[in-house]
Amino acid sequence: MRLSTQSYYNRSINAMLEQQSALSRIQNQVASGKKINSPADDPIAAVHIIELERSKQEYEQYDKNSALARGRLTLEEQSLADAGNALQRVRELILQASNTGTLSASDRESIAVELASRLQEIQDIGNRQDSNGEYLFAGFSTRTQPFAGVGSGVTYYGDQGARQLQVGPTQRVADSHSGFDVFMNISEGNGTFVTSAGATNTGSASIDVGSVRNPGTWVRDDYTLTFTSPTTWEITDSATPTANVVATGPYTSGGVIAFRGVQVTISGAVAAGDTFAIEGSGTENVFDTLQGVIDALRVPTGGGTATAQLNVALSGGLQQVDQAIDHFLGVRGEVGARLSALDTADAAREDLSIDRASTLSDLRDLDYAEALARMNQQMVALQAAQLSYSQISQLSLFDYLR
Amino acid sequence: MADLLSTSISGLMAFQRALDTTSHNITNANTVGYSRQIAEFGTRNPQEAGNGWMGSGVDVNTIKRAYDDFLASQTRSASSSYNQFNTYATQAGRVSNLLGNTTTGLTASLQSFTNAFQAVADTPTSTPARQTLLSQAGTLMQRLQSYDQSLRSFDAQVNAQIRTEADSITSLARSIAKLNQEISGGYGRTGQPPNDLLDQRDRMIDELATHVSVNVVEQSDRSLNVFIGNGQPLVVGQTYGQIVATADAFDPTRTTLSFQTPGSTIDITRSLSGGTLGGMLDFRSQMLDPARSALGRVAAGLAEVVNEQHGAGMDLTGQLGGDFFTTGPARVLSHSANTGTGTITAQRIDGASGALTTSDYIMLNTASGWSLRRADTGATVPMTGTGVAGDPFIAEGIAIEVAPGAAVGDRFMIKPTAEAVSGMQVLITDPSRIAAAAPIRSGVGTGNTGTATISAGEVIDAGNAQLRSPVDITFTSATQYTISGDPTVYTYTPGSNIDVNGWRMQINGTPAAGDTFTMRDNVGGTGDNRNALKLASIMNEPVLNNGTASLSAAVGQFVGDIGVKTNQAQVSSAAQKVVFDESVDSLQSVSGVNLDEEAANLVRYQQAYMAAAQMIRVADTIFQSVLEATRG
Repeated sequence: MRLSTQSYYNRSINAMLEQQSALSRIQNQVASGKKINSPADDPIAAVHIIELERSKQEYEQYDKNSALARGRLTLEEQSLADAGNALQRVRELILQASNTGTLSASDRESIAVELASRLQEIQDIGNRQDSNGEYLFAGFSTRTQPFAGVGSGVTYYGDQGARQLQVGPTQRVADSHSGFDVFMNISEGNGTFVTSAGATNTGSASIDVGSVRNPGTWVRDDYTLTFTSPTTWEITDSATPTANVVATGPYTSGGVIAFRGVQVTISGAVAAGDTFAIEGSGTENVFDTLQGVIDALRVPTGGGTATAQLNVALSGGLQQVDQAIDHFLGVRGEVGARLSALDTADAAREDLSIDRASTLSDLRDLDYAEALARMNQQMVALQAAQLSYSQISQLSLFDYLR
Repeated sequence: MADLLSTSISGLMAFQRALDTTSHNITNANTVGYSRQIAEFGTRNPQEAGNGWMGSGVDVNTIKRAYDDFLASQTRSASSSYNQFNTYATQAGRVSNLLGNTTTGLTASLQSFTNAFQAVADTPTSTPARQTLLSQAGTLMQRLQSYDQSLRSFDAQVNAQIRTEADSITSLARSIAKLNQEISGGYGRTGQPPNDLLDQRDRMIDELATHVSVNVVEQSDRSLNVFIGNGQPLVVGQTYGQIVATADAFDPTRTTLSFQTPGSTIDITRSLSGGTLGGMLDFRSQMLDPARSALGRVAAGLAEVVNEQHGAGMDLTGQLGGDFFTTGPARVLSHSANTGTGTITAQRIDGASGALTTSDYIMLNTASGWSLRRADTGATVPMTGTGVAGDPFIAEGIAIEVAPGAAVGDRFMIKPTAEAVSGMQVLITDPSRIAAAAPIRSGVGTGNTGTATISAGEVIDAGNAQLRSPVDITFTSATQYTISGDPTVYTYTPGSNIDVNGWRMQINGTPAAGDTFTMRDNVGGTGDNRNALKLASIMNEPVLNNGTASLSAAVGQFVGDIGVKTNQAQVSSAAQKVVFDESVDSLQSVSGVNLDEEAANLVRYQQAYMAAAQMIRVADTIFQSVLEATRG
């Protein structure tokens, strides 16, 4: 093809300009260390990178949330451990007080005084605050002091909420338990029923806390065991106006009285008309439990009836404290499970972060070896273009016209 | 011997012309648009002699221009295409670069805003966390607005560019018409082509083709008629039309192009294509307008979902959350040629941001009623409703009310989201007014003997006046319950929704007779973060595009769309450049000057000239020998 001189120059110069702009693109990549400097360079990868960057940012927040949840749960764990220790001491004191035969009124009073201070300690634990001044056990009402009042007058002013923190795209972990769950909502008695002695009993017999033999035949109700004579008893339900007799039997001190899948043991001398209540258990708060024991210890003793009342109160109180200890352990177990869930979530996030970082790097980061090789190649091409241009452009027929 | 002399002189004259032409070629070797010229030799008419026809020398018949109309028109169309794509790619590249930074980009701002909600959820009572959320909301808004502002300034530049283009096209048309006059006159006088004028005119048309696609038709008087658009006659012989920048019939701030002849002005914006002008118009309609609408849709969607969820929460002062963001309303523009007095109003339907598109619409009053079309594709959009207040037309997330008085043929343009970003504001300024908590809280009665549990409860209608009234649910047996204030006895189904007073909750497990569950006003629930968690999670929920795209995905899609369009434009531009360069080379191979060739011609014509001169000497010698002989 015929080539015009102008075309020749334009073509050569255009080729060199293109080489230069390619070289400048590579140089830009090398300088920024990135393959993609504008979404137009590779739109699909660019959108992918944006999403990965967003996800990274999102997960950084989950890391913070997780650390915060961990701090709070650790604080709660410590509080529960403290409360558990206090209850252990309460348990020892009640056991000590159960030794009714050898304790004087002043001994009991001193035990009552210590129990009262333990009660106050547990209440103080319930009112603990975190570093932000928020109450740990107030549910959502973190600015409201959850426990106020004294003894059985302790009232819970918080709510039943538990704040949850997001530790993964779909995973939330509660960072607290409400005071209701921890201190207030403790199962009563042995979890099925609770026993007590009638206040007007004249005999000196006491009832134990009882046990469940066959949960399937237990019918929840408030039963009354009445001694129709010092040797016979009958159990009636709470039907009105006329109660139904559920079971009757002869009384032997220390013998087992069984009905409807449960059993209780009454020991000591009974008088006709003495009653014992066997009531379906509800819930009791730890403050009432302790206050009940304290109040019982402060009732003057003397005479079998009062001693029996005290025994029943103490054994009931002991069982209730054991319930509370179990309950606190259960809550601590939940806290432990949450902490372990945090660990699992942290590990999962960590794995994903590593994976994401490598994908991000593949998509975005420049392969320097490859880029520098490309740059060299481009430079050689540009040099060749420049050299050939400068030489070929010197060729002209006019040089020979002399 | 007079013949020999005159033959030789004819040679001298012809080769001198040829040498002149060659030197003209050499001196114009670098003139853009110059076509090399060739002196065409022809024998003179022979003289009749008894023994035959005697040749009488050479003449230069004409000076021909090396030119190929077909290649020239191919080059022009390639030039129009290349300039169109190149302009689009250059402009689009600027938008693409604007969105390129992933760490300061929109997605990052959106995620920072989400994270700030998480931080409030972590410590709902912390004022610094709330303060951070407000400043992140402000940053997100500013980011959206700075993009919108950049897109607007691109739009303003396009408007200015279109005005410049209009002036250039008109002035080229004027020059072409003037050259037409000179060329047809020149032909008429001499019957010979005025080559350099032809080159000038072709160069003008080439220049015009870089601005806009043209059609060229040659007339018998050698003038060229130039048509643009749908056959608007830009140049006819010695007259030319004017291309003027005019205001858009819907939006006066938008520049369009009209073809102006005495007595009429026709909007030809839509029919123009090719060249830098076509590239600008494409950039505006295919990238800028959709980008602004898409950005607006993200803003509208963001504001709506955040407002809705925020309104279902409770702030630190115990009140229900107010609107978090406000955005600019849908815009209605009436056509300048409307004759009726009726107007229409349009607004985005609250809660329907998922149905919004990134399209603008034209509402047309036809003899058989109102019809709605997409502004870009012209596709008809079905509407429900009657268009009156209370029962507006509903289509694709917008509600349109029509006031009476519109004449048949009246048109309105509806831009649902284009102004959303510019009117955006953060309405919450007091950190304590951030609604991080839920307004209600559920509880289990203290004396419950069953094992049933109650869910935390969620707000499904924040507008219910009784939302925060205390409600007790009491089980009359293990299978039946009553709700306070409601005599009905309900049958208990574990896990089923219990909807009362605008909230919803579920009871699970085994309740016992006498068990109670409560729903209370969460006043004082300062540590509650439920609403903040919900606000954080809605960013990743599919709320846009009929429930298929989350806000962050929509932003990614927005950036991706621009990237894809830019990338396509760049690829097309590179491809068109190859086509253009090749057609220029083809044309140049015909009409370009090659200096070596001219050098050879120089030698050739010089030698021929010298030979002709030598013949004069021969003629002289012959004549002298005759004189010698006769002198004796």
